[in-house]
Amino acid sequence: MVSNYSKSVFVVFSFIISLSFFFSHSIASEVGISDDTIKIGQWSPQTGPAALWGSVARGTDCYFKMLNAEGGIHGRKLKQYLRDDAYQPPRTVGAVKELVGRVGVFGFVGGVGTANGMAVKRFLHTRKIPWVGPLSGSSKWANPPTRYLFALYPNYIDEAHLLTSYAYMTLDKKRIAFFYQNDDYGKEGLMGAKKTLKRYNAKLVHEVSVEPLDTDISSQILKLKMSKPDVVILWLLPKHAAMTMGAAAKMSFKPVWMTTSTLSDVPLMHKITKGLWDGVIFDSFGELPDSKHPLMIKYKKARDEFAPRENWGVFFTAGFLFAEPMIEAFRRAGRDLTRENFVDAMETIKNWDKGTGHKITFGPNQRQGQRAVFLAKCQKGNGVRLSDWLEVK
Amino acid sequence: MLSQLSQVIASGLAIGSCYALIALAMVIIYKTSEVLNFAQGEMAMVSTFIAYTLLTTYDIPFIIAFPLTLLFSLILGMIIEFLFLRPAKDPTVLGLIVITLGAEMILYGIAGWKWGAETKSFPSPILDTKVYNIKGIVISQLNIWVFVVCIGLMLLLFLFFRFSTLGVAMKATAQNHMAARLMGIRAKRILSFTWGLSALIGAVAGVLIAPITLLDPNMMVDPLLKAFASAVLGGMTSMPGAAVGGGILGVVENLFGWYVSTEFKSVVAFAIIVIVLCVRPSGLLARHYVKKV
Repeated sequence: MVSNYSKSVFVVFSFIISLSFFFSHSIASEVGISDDTIKIGQWSPQTGPAALWGSVARGTDCYFKMLNAEGGIHGRKLKQYLRDDAYQPPRTVGAVKELVGRVGVFGFVGGVGTANGMAVKRFLHTRKIPWVGPLSGSSKWANPPTRYLFALYPNYIDEAHLLTSYAYMTLDKKRIAFFYQNDDYGKEGLMGAKKTLKRYNAKLVHEVSVEPLDTDISSQILKLKMSKPDVVILWLLPKHAAMTMGAAAKMSFKPVWMTTSTLSDVPLMHKITKGLWDGVIFDSFGELPDSKHPLMIKYKKARDEFAPRENWGVFFTAGFLFAEPMIEAFRRAGRDLTRENFVDAMETIKNWDKGTGHKITFGPNQRQGQRAVFLAKCQKGNGVRLSDWLEVK
Repeated sequence: MLSQLSQVIASGLAIGSCYALIALAMVIIYKTSEVLNFAQGEMAMVSTFIAYTLLTTYDIPFIIAFPLTLLFSLILGMIIEFLFLRPAKDPTVLGLIVITLGAEMILYGIAGWKWGAETKSFPSPILDTKVYNIKGIVISQLNIWVFVVCIGLMLLLFLFFRFSTLGVAMKATAQNHMAARLMGIRAKRILSFTWGLSALIGAVAGVLIAPITLLDPNMMVDPLLKAFASAVLGGMTSMPGAAVGGGILGVVENLFGWYVSTEFKSVVAFAIIVIVLCVRPSGLLARHYVKKV
C-alpha cells in the first residue's frame, strides 16, 4: 500500500518536473533571452592606446537605446553589457568569460581589435555563441568560415586591393610605396597591395615599416622620399599617420597619400595634423558622418537624444553599422529566438541594403558579409566621396 | 649620398636631444637617491597636458603658460616625493623603484581619465614644419630648439651643481646622506627639491617633444625607454654622459634604420643597454665608484 502510494507520488512529481522543463523550454529556451530582454555583450577599449576606437561600443549602446524606445524587437528590449579591455587581449579573454559565465549573454556584437578578437574566437566558437561584426579587417574571421562568427568589416587585403588599383589604374600613378605597421594589421594591407600590383606586373617602389610604439619615424620618411613614389599608402595607427604628415611636410615630400578605413575619421585627422590631412584619399565601409542617408539622419537624432556628449564621428556611427545585421536577424528569427535559429536567420540575409553599409550577404558557407568600400578624399576637414561602392570581384 | 648621410645624422641628433633631455631628468634623481624613476615619463606627460590645457582651454599665451607649467611640474615632483617615497619605511632602493612604478600607473590613469586617450595636437609656437635647409640638410625650428635647450640645460645644471649652495648640498646628500645631515643640510628637503627639479626638466622635454609625437597618455612610453638606454650608455650618474648618450643613441638608431632595417630600429636601444652593461657597466662618461667599507 505504502509502496503504491509512493509510486504514485513519484509519477506525479516527475510529471510536474517534466512539465516545468517543457514550459521553461518554450518560454525562455536560450541563454541571454528572457521574456522582455536580449542580453548582448561587447568589449572595446575605453582606456589605453586604442581608446579612440572605444566610441564604437558607445555607438552600439545608443543604437540599442533608440531601438528600445521604438518598442524593441518582438517585444524584447536590447541590453548591452560593455566591458573595457584597454586593447589588451588577456583582458578581453577575462571580460568575455565573465560575460558568458556570469552574465550569460546571448551573443556578442562588435568587439574592437584583431589580436583581441583572435584571443576569444575559439572560446566563443566552442561554446556556440554568436558573434557579429568584429571591428577589424582581418581576413581570419571569415576564412575559413565558422558557424557562429559573422564578419562585416571588409578585410584589409580587399581594402588594399581597391586602393592600389585605384591609384594604379584610375589615377594612373605607377610608382606606389607602402608604409605599414609591423603587425597583422599592417602586413595584411601590404599583402593586398603587393598581390594587386603583381596582377599588373608591377611592384611597390618601396615598403617600409614602423613598430606600434615608435616615436621617431624620420629615417622611414627619408627612405620613402628617396624612392620617389607618386603615391604612398599608409597602414598605420592614427598617431603615426599624423606624424608622417608632419615629417613629410618638413622634408617637402608631397606624394598622393592614401590610407585605410581605420584612418577615416577625417575631422579628427585633419585636426591633429593641423590641416596637413587635406587631399588624403581613404576608403570607407559605411556612410560618412555627414551623409544625407535617411538612416544616418535618424541615427544622428538618436545620438542627440541618448548620447548628446558623444562626438558624431566615423567610429561612433560604426557602432550602429556593425549591429544592423544582428538586429535584422533578430527580426527575421521572430519571437522564438535561439542561438541556432538566429544563425539560420543570419544566413538568410542576402543582398541586404537596408543599413548604412553596402549590400550584405551571408550564407551557409559565406561569413564575410560586406566586401565593398567606397573611396573618399579629405577636403578642408570633410570627407568628400570620390567613387561609388566598389566591390572586390 | 653624403647629403643623405648628413640628413640621417642630423635627424638622429634631433631625436637624440629629446632622449637626452629625459635622460638628464632621470640622472638627477639617480645621482641623489640611486632610484630609477619610472614615473619620469608620466610626470612629463602630465605636465605637457597641463601646458596643453593652459594653452587651449584658457587661451593663455605660450610665454606665460610655459613658466606656469614648469612651476606645476616642480610642485608635482615634490608632491610625488612627499606622498609616495617619503612615507616608505626602511626603504630599499628596489622598494623605491617599485613605488615609482606605482606612481607611474596612477599618473597614467589620471591623465586617461582627465584628458581622454584621444590623440591631440599640441599648439606650440615652435614649429616642426618650419624648416631650414642648410646645404641640403633639412632641420626644423623645433629640432634646433631642442638641441639648444638640451645643451643649455646641461650647462646650467653643471653650473648649478658646481657653484650654487643648493647644488653642492644636493651632491653632498647624494654622496653621504648621514654626513650631510650632520653638517646641517636638510636632506629630506633636498630630496624633494631633486624630484621637483627632475620633473621640471621632464616637463621641458615633454613640451618640446609633444609637437612631434603628438599628445596622448602614451606619448612618453617609447621616449622614456630610449632615455633610459641613453642614461645607461652615458653612465647613469653623469649629466654630460646622459646628453652624449642621447645623441649617440639617436644617431645610431637612425643609421641602423637607414642602412640595415627599420623593422629592428627600436631594438637597437636595448641592444645598446645590454652591450654597455656587459662591456663597460659604468657607462661612457661616469667614473665607477667602489664603496669602501
